[in-house]
Amino acid sequence: MRVEYINPFVEAAFNVLKEVLNTEVKRGELYLKSTSQPVMGVAALVGLAGNVEGRVLFDMSFDTALAVASDMNGEKLEKLDDLAKATITELANMITAQAVTKLHELGFTFDLTPPAIFTGENMEVTDSEVEALIVPMVLPQGKIEINVAVRERL
Amino acid sequence: MKTKMDFPSINERKPEGVKEDGSPYKVLVVDDSMFVTKQISQILTSEGFEVVATASDGLQGLERYKELYPDIDVVTMDITMPKMDGVTSLEKIIEFDKEAKVIMISALGKQDLVKKALLIGAKNYIVKPLDRVKVLERIIQSIK
Repeated sequence: MRVEYINPFVEAAFNVLKEVLNTEVKRGELYLKSTSQPVMGVAALVGLAGNVEGRVLFDMSFDTALAVASDMNGEKLEKLDDLAKATITELANMITAQAVTKLHELGFTFDLTPPAIFTGENMEVTDSEVEALIVPMVLPQGKIEINVAVRERL
Repeated sequence: MKTKMDFPSINERKPEGVKEDGSPYKVLVVDDSMFVTKQISQILTSEGFEVVATASDGLQGLERYKELYPDIDVVTMDITMPKMDGVTSLEKIIEFDKEAKVIMISALGKQDLVKKALLIGAKNYIVKPLDRVKVLERIIQSIK
């Protein structure tokens, strides 16, 4: 997978997280996975379809999701209820919108699906036909991994 | 209460969400995200506005507007929503009341739709992520 697909998502995640959480964000080392990989507990998935296709996953632990949603709402949320999920969805929406604007400027055209939120223990994601690039973002609330598996349409 | 008299008020400024006669500006929030609805409502309520209704899609937003009219001052309208999108809902609200004050709430990268909404008659727009200053500034501009 070409690195140029993931960079806009990483930049957008960095900007949006910093702005909505008003905190320091540290970018971890990029790594590549071509086999099945574990998902941490809460994952927001956005699909892309156009002259590039694939999916972006915003992956975090349950505790991180709750801490992030709590901070975005300005109140302590006790469980991952509808409001907390709507908050993580909106976070994924904002990051994706910013990244897509950049990708469109670079000449890639595609449509997006609305984010879907997956929650659960021991989940794995497998992208059998395209490898995934992952960039961890480290926040005081925990780690969010930006996991992008996108390719040019064949 | 005595305490109130002991401390001089440092907050003499009238909240921007309150009209000359002391009644609050009435707002309808149309957004399919529970989070965004709550965020906008909190910001506006803290400045004296009254959120009189919320709607989770454009069609419901249009219906609520018609029910509330003329007892409604301003609408915040998301763009991407199920059933009826925000631009269509805006169009129908303006058809019904050409004086309607509608402010579009947009994600980044929707410039074409925002432009279209402004041509149809939206008074202003706010790009997400939302913050208190930005939301209040744009809404107050449109009602004053």
